[in-house]
Amino acid sequence: MKHEQMSGGHRAVNAGCAKTTLRRAQGGVLSAIRGPSDFASCLLGIGLAIIFSLSACSNDPYPPEDGEAKVLYSSFDAAPRTLDPATAYTTKAHSVTGVVYDTLLKYHFLKRPLELMPGLAVDLPLVTPLEGGRTRYRFTLREDLLFADDDCFELNGEGRRTREIVSADIAFQLMRLADPLIGSPVAETFANIDGFVEFAAALEAYREEDPAFADLAAHEQYAAAGGVRGIEMPSRYVLDITLHRAYPQIKYWFAMEFTTPVPWEAIAYYTGQDGRPRFDDHPVGAGPFVLSEYDKQSRYVLSKNPNWYGVRHPEWKAPAAIFPTEGDEEDRRSGRMAYAGRSLPLIDRVVVVREKESIPRFNKFLQGYYDASGVIKESFDSVIQGDGLSAEMEGLGMRLGKAVSPDVFYIGFNMNDEVVGRSNGESSRKIRQAMSLAVDSEEFLRIFQNGRGVPAQSPLPPGIYGYESGYENTFRRPNIERAKELMTEAGYQNGIDPTTGEALTLTFDTSSTSTAGLNQVRFYTNAWRQLGIDVQIDGTTYNQFQEKLRQGDYQIFQFGWVADYPDPENFLFLLWSKMGKSDFGGPNATNFSDARFDELFVSMKARDNGPQRIAEIEEMLSILERERPWIELFHREDYSLYQGWVKNVKPMGLSIPTYQYRDIDPTSRSDKRKAWNEPVQWPAYLLLLAGVMVIVPGVLTYFKERQ
Amino acid sequence: MGAYVLRRLGYGVGVVLGVLFLLFLLFFTITAPEDIARKALGDKAPPEAIQTWLENHEYDRPLWPWQDWDENLLFDHYRKMLTFDFGVSDADDSPIIDRIKAGMGPSLSLTVPLLVLGLFVSIPLSLLVAFFRETYIDRMGVFLCVLAMSVSTLLYIIGAQFLIGKVLRWYPISGFDASLAMLPRFLALPVLVGLISGVGGDVRFYRTVFLEESSRDFVRTARAKGAGEARIMIFHVLRNAMIPILTRVVLAIPFLFMGALLLEAFFGIPGLGSMTVDAIQSNDFSTMRTMVYIGSLLFVFGQVATDISYGLVDPRVSVE
Repeated sequence: MKHEQMSGGHRAVNAGCAKTTLRRAQGGVLSAIRGPSDFASCLLGIGLAIIFSLSACSNDPYPPEDGEAKVLYSSFDAAPRTLDPATAYTTKAHSVTGVVYDTLLKYHFLKRPLELMPGLAVDLPLVTPLEGGRTRYRFTLREDLLFADDDCFELNGEGRRTREIVSADIAFQLMRLADPLIGSPVAETFANIDGFVEFAAALEAYREEDPAFADLAAHEQYAAAGGVRGIEMPSRYVLDITLHRAYPQIKYWFAMEFTTPVPWEAIAYYTGQDGRPRFDDHPVGAGPFVLSEYDKQSRYVLSKNPNWYGVRHPEWKAPAAIFPTEGDEEDRRSGRMAYAGRSLPLIDRVVVVREKESIPRFNKFLQGYYDASGVIKESFDSVIQGDGLSAEMEGLGMRLGKAVSPDVFYIGFNMNDEVVGRSNGESSRKIRQAMSLAVDSEEFLRIFQNGRGVPAQSPLPPGIYGYESGYENTFRRPNIERAKELMTEAGYQNGIDPTTGEALTLTFDTSSTSTAGLNQVRFYTNAWRQLGIDVQIDGTTYNQFQEKLRQGDYQIFQFGWVADYPDPENFLFLLWSKMGKSDFGGPNATNFSDARFDELFVSMKARDNGPQRIAEIEEMLSILERERPWIELFHREDYSLYQGWVKNVKPMGLSIPTYQYRDIDPTSRSDKRKAWNEPVQWPAYLLLLAGVMVIVPGVLTYFKERQ
Repeated sequence: MGAYVLRRLGYGVGVVLGVLFLLFLLFFTITAPEDIARKALGDKAPPEAIQTWLENHEYDRPLWPWQDWDENLLFDHYRKMLTFDFGVSDADDSPIIDRIKAGMGPSLSLTVPLLVLGLFVSIPLSLLVAFFRETYIDRMGVFLCVLAMSVSTLLYIIGAQFLIGKVLRWYPISGFDASLAMLPRFLALPVLVGLISGVGGDVRFYRTVFLEESSRDFVRTARAKGAGEARIMIFHVLRNAMIPILTRVVLAIPFLFMGALLLEAFFGIPGLGSMTVDAIQSNDFSTMRTMVYIGSLLFVFGQVATDISYGLVDPRVSVE
């Protein structure tokens, strides 16, 4: 009803306002164009504007001043959750923290297998066995090391905001790892340090008992709690770490950012209060670069740190501050050795731009706007032909880098399960062996990974001590006939369970419930179907699966493990009974337990590399080969593309950024970018012409009718 | 007027409180906080770290008031949302309000030109097809509009990035730079894609409105008085079709702040749309909750603003 009334009024009102509108229009825009000639001028102006804007068109995403500088351009898909070196544990985070923070030890850039060398420390740690099975590691810090300039420091005598790095800064960071409030994911590893766990408990107790204590700054709380017994500072530059049990792998952790010196001032200052950022987003370190710009949604910039010891003291020729002087034949051939002895870093800045989608990222790489890229699935066949680059890519001067990741992907059996586990004795062992023989890793890699990867024969990937390239696991070469025989020997002829008279039915738990993830699992279940085994897929969320693991309610699963450091211990501990998931909540999800394996593991773990260690590793691998708690699937192989102007690319496998070793030829980059990105303008003119041809006759007709 | 606005606002408050309750059911009862923690901390995080995270993010409290009257998640959820205390992101612990402030600028830099240019393109186009109604131009126009509406925005994005960014090399394929010198270069492609993907629906809608208006008596009167067809379309039909146009525009304005999900995500624009997509992808439930809540607030605000604006543009409309 109301609507009708409104419409009625509409007509009455409109008659009154129409005249006014007409009068206004006479002095309006249309009246300014009084005839075809005016219109032609107007059109000419618009056309010229379009032509001008087209000539200014460019697909260059960077400001002109970036053109000739030694800047490396890279991309990231999502910002890391945190840059706090106590909690950052992802490759994304390490690509920042790995160069913003520096560590006592570093990995040699060119040597393979990876080898430790001194970083901030003068030398490798001095190891002293102590009574009661304890071991002391003595690190001596270089003198005159400075943190990067930052607002968290008081102004010093030179009018700068920085200070010297001392051993107490590393001790402070180690105590942060113990702090339950920080929740470091590696606290368990550092529990090998004498008094580490007690310190964590004392902190918690003090905080609960005394609210005033909890309000103190972190470094004051740590001091008040008495510090960690096994962390001592005999002098300003000496740090003693005492382990209460043998753990020689601790040295690798001193090449990771978890043990970097952290200034207490930064923790006290960057609290997220009073407009200051949080320490998670504002790293203050002593590495070769500083995070000079950080917009998590858009881009970040790493700039050369003028305070880094390699920049301030090139005369030291410190091992980690110069380009290595030792390399292999491939390093010589690729021209890397020409840089031997040069001071690092070789570039001025690294600009990392957010690029969430892989296709635009790859296209911008092809346009020369990124210096490196992975190979996306959509373009794999046009980029890679055979084992190398396609002729087109080679013609553009691009190079392909391949590196096998220090990881292993595997199918695991729950050894506590009644059917596939140890309680079923020889029968279940034969089932596991048969199932292992049915899975063809090469075929899997060909179908799902474009052939990228190395079929795994044992838990140890290439590049890890103990890996033997000639080693062939008897049960990892696909052989369906032999597998069927084993099933018969196990009492399951043609896969028939004698107790039920039907196919043996097992369950595969997976949290990869996407179509792609389920297709991969179906690849395995189809392989086992050839043996007559019916394996049901049970899709769960990751958390539900974790709960199942805790309760031991699972039979078969798939997991992967990426190395923290290049030592066989970091892989074989996944099968140590003391790491059993059900009994100890550890990462041994198969609950594999073998007395001889455990004995060898404990011995191997504490031993330095050498023939005895190799013999122990070989025996451990032979136990795994026979017992088959795992079906080792593959080690991933990363393919990376690099522009021809990028020098010194040598992947290190672990998540260690190597920006300081990279070099750029900016002139070559600038020339190639220009040549590759000349705008194609003729379609615009064609569109303009088509527009004119459509609009002009119409408007001319309008004017003609008006006259 | 005042009573009417108050009544509408009252309805709006009811809607918002209801949305908050649904949000609570979705984000607290269906999803286990442990899942959120594991996503945030990574697969290698030990159970102690998960527990600490849950405590730090206050997910370790009981859900309902009858479990604990003082410390329960339901009351806490209402209190925080209604006082705009959005807390920190589940994904990276950064304050959500800061991220909203930072993302609003990039979002508006895309959505405002898109709205304005969209009006400048679709209104003249719809006037044109309405002007040539029931001719081949009209039929062709409607066909093209339906075609434009039928194609997925994703296809426009990928197609434009390929054709204009890669083959013709007119504009960057993606990226964002807030500096005045670089901004137009980065916005050109997403705005063009936004215009093309939206113009079909807009032209169809406005054409219908204009056709309805052009059959009214006042148009006949104008024609009888000798006014030209073009003048009738521009000065009579367009003016009188302002109410539906305004409804559409005023309703759209609040959502400009929310950004454009697909355009921002694919063109790398660090706005609120992109932030929402990130939150969905990273199981950042606290950010998702906040964005849905803000969306519902803006919707209610848009409804009330639309009603009020009727009265402002059309004196015949009285809001009572």
